[in-house]
Amino acid sequence: MNTSSVRSATLAAALFFLLAGCGKPEAVVRVGFVGPLTGDQAAHGLDMLRGVQMALENVKSQGEILPGYRVELSVLDDQRSPSQAVSAAKRLASDPTVVAVVGHLNSSCTKPASVIYNEARMLHVNPVSSNPEISRQGFDNFYRVCPTDDLQGPAGARFAVEKLGAKKIFVIDDMTTYGRGLANEFMKKAKTLNVQLLGHEGIAQGEKDFTPLLTKVKSLGADLIYFAGMFPEAALLIKQRRELNVPASFLGGDGLYEPTLIQLATPQAAEGIYLTTLGADIHQVPKAKQFVESFEQRYHHMGSYSSYAYEATRLALEAIHRAGRPERTAVLLAMKGIKEYPGILGVHTFDEKGDTTLRTIGIFTVRDGKFQFLEAFEGKS
Amino acid sequence: MSSSELFLQQVINGLTIGSVYALIALGYTMVYGIMQLINFAHGEVFMVGAYLGLSVILAAGLQAPAAGSLAWFLFLIAVAAAGCAVLGLIIERVAYRPLRRAPKLSLLITAIGVSFFLQNAVMIGYGAQDRYLPSLLPAVTWGKGAVTVTPLQLMIFVVAFLLMVLLHRIVYATGFGRAMRASAQDPLAARLMGISVDKVTALTFALGSALAGVGGVLFGSHYSTVNFHDGYLTGLKAFTAAVLGGIGNIPGAMVGGLLLGLIEGLSAGYVSTQWKNVIAFAVLVLVLLFRPRGLLGERVAERA
Amino acid sequence: MTRKLLILLLVFLPFFDPNAYRVDVLATAALYALLALGLNIIVGFAGLLHLGYAAFFAVGAYTYALLNLNLGCPFWVGLPVSAAAAGAAGFLLGLPVMRVRGDYLAIVTLGFGEIVRIVVTNLEEWTGGPNGLLGIGHPVFFSYNFGVDSKPYYGLLLVLAAVVAWACSRLARSRIGLAWVAIREDELAAECSGIDVARFKLLALGLGGGIAGLAGCVFAAKQGTVTPDSFDFILSVMVLAMVILGGLGSVTGVILGAAVLSIAPELLRSFAIYRMLIFGIVMILLIRFRPQGLWGTAQIRKEMKGRHVSA
Repeated sequence: MNTSSVRSATLAAALFFLLAGCGKPEAVVRVGFVGPLTGDQAAHGLDMLRGVQMALENVKSQGEILPGYRVELSVLDDQRSPSQAVSAAKRLASDPTVVAVVGHLNSSCTKPASVIYNEARMLHVNPVSSNPEISRQGFDNFYRVCPTDDLQGPAGARFAVEKLGAKKIFVIDDMTTYGRGLANEFMKKAKTLNVQLLGHEGIAQGEKDFTPLLTKVKSLGADLIYFAGMFPEAALLIKQRRELNVPASFLGGDGLYEPTLIQLATPQAAEGIYLTTLGADIHQVPKAKQFVESFEQRYHHMGSYSSYAYEATRLALEAIHRAGRPERTAVLLAMKGIKEYPGILGVHTFDEKGDTTLRTIGIFTVRDGKFQFLEAFEGKS
Repeated sequence: MSSSELFLQQVINGLTIGSVYALIALGYTMVYGIMQLINFAHGEVFMVGAYLGLSVILAAGLQAPAAGSLAWFLFLIAVAAAGCAVLGLIIERVAYRPLRRAPKLSLLITAIGVSFFLQNAVMIGYGAQDRYLPSLLPAVTWGKGAVTVTPLQLMIFVVAFLLMVLLHRIVYATGFGRAMRASAQDPLAARLMGISVDKVTALTFALGSALAGVGGVLFGSHYSTVNFHDGYLTGLKAFTAAVLGGIGNIPGAMVGGLLLGLIEGLSAGYVSTQWKNVIAFAVLVLVLLFRPRGLLGERVAERA
Repeated sequence: MTRKLLILLLVFLPFFDPNAYRVDVLATAALYALLALGLNIIVGFAGLLHLGYAAFFAVGAYTYALLNLNLGCPFWVGLPVSAAAAGAAGFLLGLPVMRVRGDYLAIVTLGFGEIVRIVVTNLEEWTGGPNGLLGIGHPVFFSYNFGVDSKPYYGLLLVLAAVVAWACSRLARSRIGLAWVAIREDELAAECSGIDVARFKLLALGLGGGIAGLAGCVFAAKQGTVTPDSFDFILSVMVLAMVILGGLGSVTGVILGAAVLSIAPELLRSFAIYRMLIFGIVMILLIRFRPQGLWGTAQIRKEMKGRHVSA
């Protein structure tokens, strides 16, 4: 043993005790929330967080959730990256005070994280990750309050063919679980509708230049571009489509439903694009009126996914309340007993996979620089 | 759209992004030439340039193109260039100069530290989301048949080319350039000849950073969105371009940038968007296997 | 004696720590230590500047993930196989790039790292594409399943890191280690004195790759999931930073570097959004005052004085 090992030991000791400073047990029970709070999709993540916070406040104001325990949020950031999502999930799973989790935004994050929550036997209520595969993993702890992409994709395909009269479609996705899954569901339906699928290509999130791809789409003579992905990439595609004079119309999924899209793409280029959304326009759902009003009063605009995060959080809190004990298994058991839950989006019943039976898909367009609701599809799987 | 029109359009697409790479690669190459330092923070300086442009636009309340837009646009570029030059001076002073005598690789750590710092400073100041950067040039598209080009695309190309020529003139036809080359070749001898190597290095840094700032504004305006992450990927590509052309060589940076842009554009257009980066990196590796110092890099004897 | 006890205490204390998050941070630090030890062989010992080290880590992780998911291969079989696969990747990368030196080697390895990451992303049918592979089996030791708890992984990684560290310090003093020093310091002179430069460079890449493969296998088993975004360029750069900050070529140093750079961001969590900003400043300051690395040896200091390590 020499002096250098002493030095390293002292340093290690210092590091360890610095780490040891955090966290001691109290009478708290926590609900985890994970979503992209930084990064290019932070807009969606923060909208969701607001919904989660508002749900906790509202439920708290109606009386004690779990007698003797303070209910808190444990908020983590996944930066829309699957590996960060897994790390965050492991952190929640290893904290025994966390009995339920609401999250994530992206299907590519929700899916790997759901494996961890399932191993930890923790109630997992998902707001908006619409990839159908997630609920097909056979996890009894997984619940989802939004319609899935095996409804959204076909609704988009029907709208494209029946209403827009598309004949030659080029499909682009962002290679995420969500994007690729949605694109596949869209194409599956489109093939049955007698249209020509000219091609299908993936782009990477964070890239900026899609002109070569759009030029190719133009040369193929497509009359519709279907994009399954999120708004930052969609905005660039829409703008570059205009700069290259690509005549094809543009249809996307719910990942585009964010007002920033129109600003980033410029209102001129975004004019007349179409998108499908999960659920109808929240402003037209009668039960959601009070929520929408108080939310808009506080934050000045309605987030695309805030209502789903709100709904998911209320469900999780209801399960905790019914469980009456701060234990994961009890909460999970209580959740199984929830039937015909009257939420703001409608009355939720969950099928054997944990998916809600509410299956409305909305269609929007952009008119005069604003999203405008066109119609609602009642999805059938 | 005929196949020749298609090809022409894809070449235009490739040259546009290639010109941006070239602009940033010029800065990489200059700094490398004098310090043999891969300045990993250079991509971040480029990103800061785009945000400086955004700041001016926000401060002046500029919107869509109007009368005098071109003047504003040139002003934007000037502000970004000047701001980034100052930033470059600060980085050199704070992060690199104190380590002049330290092992070369320790500079890599400060470069990463500076990268983290700049990225996060911008994220804190402007938010993590993509920000809209309105283009001040008219949003028209000039087209002959099916082929289109925007004024901004043309401008990016012309600016990149002019700056390369200017830089080449500075390095090979001015006293400062001579001092630069001398410092690069043998700092000790240069010092003995009365050249202030410190000053030359700092100025080189400032010049390289100014170019990155120009690139940032052009890039941001062209795509109309900026994000604090932009410096990372584009910086990496520009670095690749500089090496492809032969790092330390000014026309090489231009050639490397344009070539990389073309390879990317054509492989995305004719092969697959998903594979374009694999093709680009594979070409780079192949070029280096056959020309270990890049396309225009001079052959140097063992242990240069 | 008390010092030995102190070290033992520090190493074993986490096993009794009720805070799972803290243990997970330490397990991650041990994982990084393993990676840094491996990269140290390539950059610190043999002087090859490598910017694509994450690719070897990825090869290890995906090898185990695919073997486990498709063939039900147990972890303990997957561990050596992953190491061998990543080692082979290092060797294969080495064959064509022998001609390339210094910063050009850096960019070729960077390109290699990006190519591996994108290919893994694009070969969806095998790798699950950007969504990665899920449900990878955890290690089972006799009848004890490691599960999601970080403690057993911490233990396993400690053992692996200790063995690798011991092997590295033996290696550094062996004929092979001396040959690497000779190559690092002056390749031409080494070649002239009869050292088979290519063979020793390949050996360094193979060994370094193999260690990353070990780490990758444990990582895949620990996370239960592998996704390509875990293996990006940032990871390669961070591991390199650990090696340089700790002290190139010093075994104790790179372990220390790994501990500091992996634990510091966690300690800074209370600074919220200022976290990485402060981390950047910390990195600049650390190297500013210890340019030879936290644990730079006197030999390294002398060797590296004003000279390019990768020339």
